[in-house]
Amino acid sequence: MSDKQALRIALVGRPNTGKSTLFNRLTGLNQKVGNYPGVTMERTMGLSKWAPGVLAEVIDLPGIYSLHASSTDEEVVMNALFQEDPAEKIDRVIGLADGTNLKTCLFVFSQVLDLGLPAVLAVTMVDEMERRGMELKVSDLSEELGCAVVLVNTRTGEGLQALRQAVLEAEPSQKTPFFQPGGVHLHWLAQVQAAKQLATPYRAWLWGLNQTEDAETIHAESGRPPQRARTDEAIQRYRQVNQWLRRFFIADPVKDRRWTARIDRVVVHPIWGSFILFGLLFLLFQGLFYGSEGPMNFIDDQFAALSGWLTDHLASGFFSHLLTKGVIPGIAGVLIFIPQIALLFAFISLLEESGYMARVVFIMDRFMRPFGLSGKSVVPMVSGTACAIPAIMSTRNMENGRERLLAIAVTPLITCSARLPVYALLIGLVIPDHSFLGMNIRGVVLLGLYVLGFVAALGGSALLNRFMPRKKTPAFLLEMPPYRLPIGRNVLYAVWNRTKSFVTEAGKIILAISIVLWFFASFGPDRKPDFTQDHAPMAIEESYIGHMGMAIEPIMAPLGFDWKVSVAVLSSFVAREVFVGTMATLYSVDDEDSATIRAQMARQVDPKTGQPYFTLAVGVSLLLFYAFAMQCMSTFAVVARETQSYQFAVIQFIVLGLLAYGVAWIAYVLLS
Amino acid sequence: MFLSELAIGQKAIVLQAPDGLPVKLFEMGCMPGEEIELVFAAPFADPMCFRVQGTLISMRRALAALIPITAPDVG
Repeated sequence: MSDKQALRIALVGRPNTGKSTLFNRLTGLNQKVGNYPGVTMERTMGLSKWAPGVLAEVIDLPGIYSLHASSTDEEVVMNALFQEDPAEKIDRVIGLADGTNLKTCLFVFSQVLDLGLPAVLAVTMVDEMERRGMELKVSDLSEELGCAVVLVNTRTGEGLQALRQAVLEAEPSQKTPFFQPGGVHLHWLAQVQAAKQLATPYRAWLWGLNQTEDAETIHAESGRPPQRARTDEAIQRYRQVNQWLRRFFIADPVKDRRWTARIDRVVVHPIWGSFILFGLLFLLFQGLFYGSEGPMNFIDDQFAALSGWLTDHLASGFFSHLLTKGVIPGIAGVLIFIPQIALLFAFISLLEESGYMARVVFIMDRFMRPFGLSGKSVVPMVSGTACAIPAIMSTRNMENGRERLLAIAVTPLITCSARLPVYALLIGLVIPDHSFLGMNIRGVVLLGLYVLGFVAALGGSALLNRFMPRKKTPAFLLEMPPYRLPIGRNVLYAVWNRTKSFVTEAGKIILAISIVLWFFASFGPDRKPDFTQDHAPMAIEESYIGHMGMAIEPIMAPLGFDWKVSVAVLSSFVAREVFVGTMATLYSVDDEDSATIRAQMARQVDPKTGQPYFTLAVGVSLLLFYAFAMQCMSTFAVVARETQSYQFAVIQFIVLGLLAYGVAWIAYVLLS
Repeated sequence: MFLSELAIGQKAIVLQAPDGLPVKLFEMGCMPGEEIELVFAAPFADPMCFRVQGTLISMRRALAALIPITAPDVG
């Protein structure tokens, strides 16, 4: 059966109402993650069978506070609910309401009902309602709303079958509209409704107020600014909702103990709160850095063993070389990121699920504001110290598209773990092992490079923030969700979806680039490669990459790079740490031990001066080049995938490359 | 008096606000006539988090400084 025949069901509700939990319950692992047309916002859909012959496609829409568009989230929801294209049209809506916070949830749901779509209200957090002594007269509310109301326990799955049944039977409510636009607008509304062939007057109202031109017409005709019109609507709807709650909702104030307030007394305390936050971020850093080390080495070893085994058992030749030196390392290069991605997303998911993430944003807001970022960017920035790949992927949890692009643009500047072997080699080579004020200078330089990474990232973001076009910036209004125990299933699904989309989407690009790079290193313009031997099919200086290095030598000369360094810089595009291995090959060092390579490099003599080639100037120039340049095909692939734009990735690659060139050049000139 | 002037734990009633404030504020439940309480604040008292209509809403100090309220009830 094709997607077109499936019943399209949208989940609509405020954030923190258990929307993704219900979504996971309804769809299982059968989820596909894509993007909404035109915006880089994630859209998750899941196909499942609900009854014999009934296929349901459930769509998880972003959490919203109102149908009126104040941010991209609301725009996306509105566009989805206004779709007329049969392939995209929404057939049914499940409105979500947190049973412990019905007032604001019913506000949104009353808007949904006024759209005229068949809808069902799912009331979640039933267990919490019970614990806090709350009771809802379900059938009375259902009568009043003109639609089914179902209590659903998303933790246990209780009520799910009733919900499915109600959705299949749902009809548009006959009790609508719950909001009557004021008299002056009516004439105009009828016009819009007729012109656009909209099902209900409320659709015309919503459409008109959110289109700039129409909103101006409304303003001119009614003398009331659109903002006022929306305010009127909010006041009228809340009046209606309060009336419902007075009649159908009973709360026992004695049992209603709020854990959230008690936890918050410590967690957002100006002093303890900061300690807890930095403690958690430190834990994240440690986990990514050391926790993923074992699994990463394991993956690395397994693939190296596989390559080795194949080399031994296959006849030498083109294909076995392509397989063992191009394809398998390429696949390994994709899978190696899984431990870090899984760890990071488990961590983020726990933060989001528990309700703590909103507090992180809250505490850090004042500090990140000057850079055009919010507290949400703290997680990508800290993760970037391990690796830019999971860090850039983690920006998906940022609702503000502009801030997300800023974070993606600057994250590759943060000192990641792949830079460490390069830094270690170069610092050992050109920085003397002296003490200064009781501190080892080498350590100070390494620390300085870390600081430089953060300064460059934040400074870059502040700079871009001034020039990047600004649409309407949504006001910083954030709901602090109550603390809740994270649901393991949700964490698992988040990790699974992220990992899957990395492997299938960014993975393709990484594999393709690594095969291209294999070709450049194994073939050359002048000589046929020799695949019959165990060693490399051709000397590196004869290969394409060697020729490219020589070709760019004049361009790199102002930075103090000779052709060998240029080749190493080029081949580092696979991953920065490849620099070390390439240096070993170029200087004919057999083992890849850093100390041996360093000794060999230290012996290199500059033919022009007769002095050692790797001077302080060359070393610092190289260090700075590696600090700024986006020399990492995997980062490139992930940026292209996350922004849905090769253009963005290419521009970022060029800009960071030019920046690296400029800084390295200045350093070289100043030091030599 | 304005919302930004509340001390932690103090409650007041939101008054009619001037035009130009984000409507989202109303839609989230922070509207004239409702009781509002400052629950906690971030370092440097910015942003601030309020309880109104049963939910916790946080906003930057600059926005809170535009929302008029009654004198807080002491107690």
